[in-house]
Amino acid sequence: MLKYIVKRIGMALATLLVIIFVLFVLVRIMPGNPFPSERMSATQIANKRAEMGLDDPILLQFVRYMKNVLRGDFGKGSSLYNGAPIKTVLSSCVSNSFRIGGLAILIGTVLGLLLGVCAALHRGKFLDGFCTVFSIVGVCVPSYVFLIFLQYNFSYKVSFFPYFFDSSRFLFSAILPALSLSLFTMSTIARFTRNEMVEVIDSDYVRLAESKGMEGGLLIRRHVLRNALVPIVTVLAPLIVDLLTGALVVEKIYGINGIGKLMVDAIAGEGVDYNYVLALGILYSSLYIGMMLAVDILYGILDPRIRVSAKGEA
Amino acid sequence: MSTINKAAASMQTPADYTPRKEDFALLEQHDIATDKNFASQGYWKGVAIHFFRNKRAVTGLVIVLLIVFFAVFGPMMSRYGYKDIVSITTKVNGRNRQITAGGLAPRIPWLHKLLGGEAYEDQFADRTFIFGTDDMGRDLWTRTWHGARVSLLIAFITILIDMIVGMSYGLVSGYFGGVTDNIMQRFVEVANSVPRLVIVSVLAIFMKKGMGLVIVALLLTEWIGMSKIARAEMLKIKEQEYVLASRTLGARSSHIIFKEILPNTIGPIITQVMFSIPTAIFTEAFLSFVGVGIVLPQCSVGTLIEDGFNNITTLPYQILPPILVLALLMLGFNFIGDGLREALAPKLEDM
Amino acid sequence: MKKALSMLLVMVMTLACLSGAAMADSDKYLGVMLSTNVMSLDTNLATDGESFEVIADCIDGLMQMDAAGASIPALAESYDMSEDGLTYTFHLRDAKWSNGTPVTASDFVFAWRRICKEAGEYAYMFGSSVGCVKGAQDIIDGKAEPDTLAVSAPDDKTLVVDLESPVSFFASLMYFPTFYPINEAFYSSLEEGTYGTSPETFLSNGAFVLESYTPGTASLTVKKNPDYWDADRVKLAGIKYQVVGSSDNALVAFKTGALDVVTISGNQVASAKKDAELASKLAVTGAGYMWYLTFSQTEKNADGGMLANANLRLAISNAIDRESIVENNVMDGSLATYTAVPPQFAASSTTGADFSEDQMKFVDYCDFNVEKALEYLAKAKEELGKDSFTFTLIYGNNEGDVIAKVAQAIKSQVEANLPGVTLNLQPMTKAERLDKMQNDNYDVALTRWGPDYADPMTYLGMWITNASNNYGFWSNAEYDQLIKDCTTGAYVADYDARWDAMYKAETLVMQEAVIAPLYTQANANLISSGVTGIDFHPVALNRVYKSAVIE
Repeated sequence: MLKYIVKRIGMALATLLVIIFVLFVLVRIMPGNPFPSERMSATQIANKRAEMGLDDPILLQFVRYMKNVLRGDFGKGSSLYNGAPIKTVLSSCVSNSFRIGGLAILIGTVLGLLLGVCAALHRGKFLDGFCTVFSIVGVCVPSYVFLIFLQYNFSYKVSFFPYFFDSSRFLFSAILPALSLSLFTMSTIARFTRNEMVEVIDSDYVRLAESKGMEGGLLIRRHVLRNALVPIVTVLAPLIVDLLTGALVVEKIYGINGIGKLMVDAIAGEGVDYNYVLALGILYSSLYIGMMLAVDILYGILDPRIRVSAKGEA
Repeated sequence: MSTINKAAASMQTPADYTPRKEDFALLEQHDIATDKNFASQGYWKGVAIHFFRNKRAVTGLVIVLLIVFFAVFGPMMSRYGYKDIVSITTKVNGRNRQITAGGLAPRIPWLHKLLGGEAYEDQFADRTFIFGTDDMGRDLWTRTWHGARVSLLIAFITILIDMIVGMSYGLVSGYFGGVTDNIMQRFVEVANSVPRLVIVSVLAIFMKKGMGLVIVALLLTEWIGMSKIARAEMLKIKEQEYVLASRTLGARSSHIIFKEILPNTIGPIITQVMFSIPTAIFTEAFLSFVGVGIVLPQCSVGTLIEDGFNNITTLPYQILPPILVLALLMLGFNFIGDGLREALAPKLEDM
Repeated sequence: MKKALSMLLVMVMTLACLSGAAMADSDKYLGVMLSTNVMSLDTNLATDGESFEVIADCIDGLMQMDAAGASIPALAESYDMSEDGLTYTFHLRDAKWSNGTPVTASDFVFAWRRICKEAGEYAYMFGSSVGCVKGAQDIIDGKAEPDTLAVSAPDDKTLVVDLESPVSFFASLMYFPTFYPINEAFYSSLEEGTYGTSPETFLSNGAFVLESYTPGTASLTVKKNPDYWDADRVKLAGIKYQVVGSSDNALVAFKTGALDVVTISGNQVASAKKDAELASKLAVTGAGYMWYLTFSQTEKNADGGMLANANLRLAISNAIDRESIVENNVMDGSLATYTAVPPQFAASSTTGADFSEDQMKFVDYCDFNVEKALEYLAKAKEELGKDSFTFTLIYGNNEGDVIAKVAQAIKSQVEANLPGVTLNLQPMTKAERLDKMQNDNYDVALTRWGPDYADPMTYLGMWITNASNNYGFWSNAEYDQLIKDCTTGAYVADYDARWDAMYKAETLVMQEAVIAPLYTQANANLISSGVTGIDFHPVALNRVYKSAVIE
């Protein structure tokens, strides 16, 4: 197992390198200068591009960039935020997005699992129908619409929560955005849990366990839920990455200084800020790759019959 | 890992002996032929019977068909086209001036009168707008159903992408495992890691913008979720005894993957398809917003929801029709999906 | 589920109790909405109105604007202009940076040289098309060293600037943030790239000091500067800025009292007008910039250079009902505009008259008149030998909620009024739109330009042959000569003659419909009752809070 993990990490680094290179080339193809240029003359633009090293061969630029990244230097912005080193800007965005996203994942997963389990156990009854309708509404209503609803009712009609995000009162002001973000996860998890459990409950081995007199929580935990978890983990993993890396519109509405908005500012601002796009791309893909590794390992723990690693490596 | 796995591993690699044709003797030919025929006919017939016996499944089908009906004929029921800005022209201070019917709440004058309401006081008092008008003064009834067309198309394309690309990719990757799986999964990681906005703006340089580009953009990433689910199911099932048995009997990989394992993974696959539809519909809205999707003044359910969102507190009724259409569409699809799941997997039949 | 819900509720309630106490005690701070993030507090890198506003809160330049927008002394107690108008000598008053060091003339020299050397977006304000500071253009073009800039500090309190040619509005440029000072000793003590990224790395000499700010933040605060040279004038304890992404959200935020000053647009203005209480708090102020259509006139675009035909351009311009767009789509009090130089920002210093007061002066070329549009179209069809034209209109989808609606209205009007003309819409990011325009790879673009200084030249300078903002690639020798005479030639010393020449130049632009002006942006502000004294300006700084009061 350890050997497998080490090998996977090695491969993850290689994949990351490929991703950075692809991104590196693609951003440079994107239309637009990497700095605001509406009031610049053609000479000025050309000088500025040369100064940034954009006229050099792309491989040379890439090697230069990677050397800096390995030293922990992601460069500085060219159109965003004062040309401050990206590290300093990113840290506050990452901390906000991670904390709000983490809270959303927690709420979404716990409530989603609860709802799904209850629905499966009351199959065909009211709770089951409620689960179906809830999860459909949950994926049809975008999280930002839900946030507006929450904001309107709980910050405006009843002034209970702050109307805008306030980093000095983090937990309290994170509740509304986290709740609204958790809706999609909650619905997805609830639906998958319900459907998987229904299938597992009907399987022979559960019937066997039941006929042997096993019942209640133990049966659910030991046989049903555990066997239903494989697809749930599979859908949850990318959702976690998405939630951690921020949600543009929710951040915009609630005034959160987060990753989602940073990414869009970097691409669709006054200029395309190459270094920000790259730094955020590295962040996103590392998270994603790491999460996929975790999922492959989890498979083996959830169901020992599953072996993701190749033959003979187990 | 466990001992069972090791045993399975040694059994499933019959490197020392490959079954040859001569090892198997066919039973009498006509027996098999009739049996196959009978079985396949009976299976699909059974699925259909199960499906139509299921009340929820039929309800779902009716809902989806109704939405399709309105998407096709709805726009014809209104006198206004989807891009017509309803307006009247008057003279103000001697100059021509257009007054548009922007931001009108739903109104059906004769019904309103029947219910004893006072006549509307603006210039559009006698006009009927079942869903009202948007802030530019276009009939929301027409636009909603016009948008439903685009979004139904997106839903259909998503189902295809999911079923064809995503499912096969995941099943194949999971089945072969090892190096194949490794390469295929690393490719997924690369494909999923490049921000969509970057890919799309670069694509837009080389492609004509419009529906074609939307489909390409959806093709790039929308199948990934499905492939992950299919792969997980494959990993779970491929070690089961019946797969082993089939393999020992010399069945081809494609036969094992698509004929034997696929039917047993259909549950989560259908659930995943259902959930990828609204995601795709919102993705299309996002693409349209950045300028590579459908072109204004065209609309889709996704873009209508975004439009409505911009005025959610001042013109709250504007966001309702598209959200309701989307929710009903999803409800219908889910009911159909559940019905199909139950019909395709007979063990769930009597519940 | 019920259990889970009730548990959640308990959790929420506990949190509410815990944090409820922290809410009070920021009362005297004015809550102000920003539409986008503050991108930079460094005058060298700032390009957006939001950044300029916060910089101006914290730093004073040589001059400032009075309530009416005229330039009055700020850090300069007075200034002298040499007779030929080529040398300005500013006499500085006693003022302090927030770290206690005095503001000196060399702070300006340092800041200005730096801007010219870095040659960023706003460096052009020093260059030969605007400020004409001697040596600036060569430094900007990378041909000379920054110390060749003709700005010197003979002593701590005197700043001498030499110009290449007289600039009648030079003193008024000094209130623009690009011309503000930076303390060199402080700047050099910082790690590279960190200037202006936190309250600790930013010095102010103005009405407010930065209290909380991190790059990219959606909220920041400034508090009153007790050491400000004009501290008596400042009544606010501070300002709490909050970035609000949508007009709808802004309206609700205002209603909750979360913000005291917000800007709304589109449908929210209509709904506020219907509410008597909100309507009384609505104040429409000029935002300065003008939205207009620009047409590419080169062969490679627009169906083989069709838009090089002036009659076709005139037809389009006359087929657009600007009043309807302003009233039905923009809704925020923006003014339908029929002149190449928008109204409300440039007044003659001899007569006081607004350069574009008379919006009907080009009624023959720019109006909403379908019959005339059809006449122009018929002529164009004859000249071009073509009956149908298809163009693409590009616009930025991240340039405000209403722009997509304006684009749709233009499409609908042009197609309805001009048979045979098809206008397809193409949204994109602003960066991409600019890229397409700069590389002449578009047919028609919906774009905007804001006045950087209070002189019609801020617009007219755009249409000189080969100017970088001449997106239509229009060229007219007579026009070039007129503009040259106004900037460096015969008319520089004769104010009224220059004014007339600029009017002539504008006529040339309008006669050929080089652009089709649409509307001049206004801001519909909601201001809490009890808040007074905020100065709104269409040029340079949209909002100034030095005299603002909360009752």
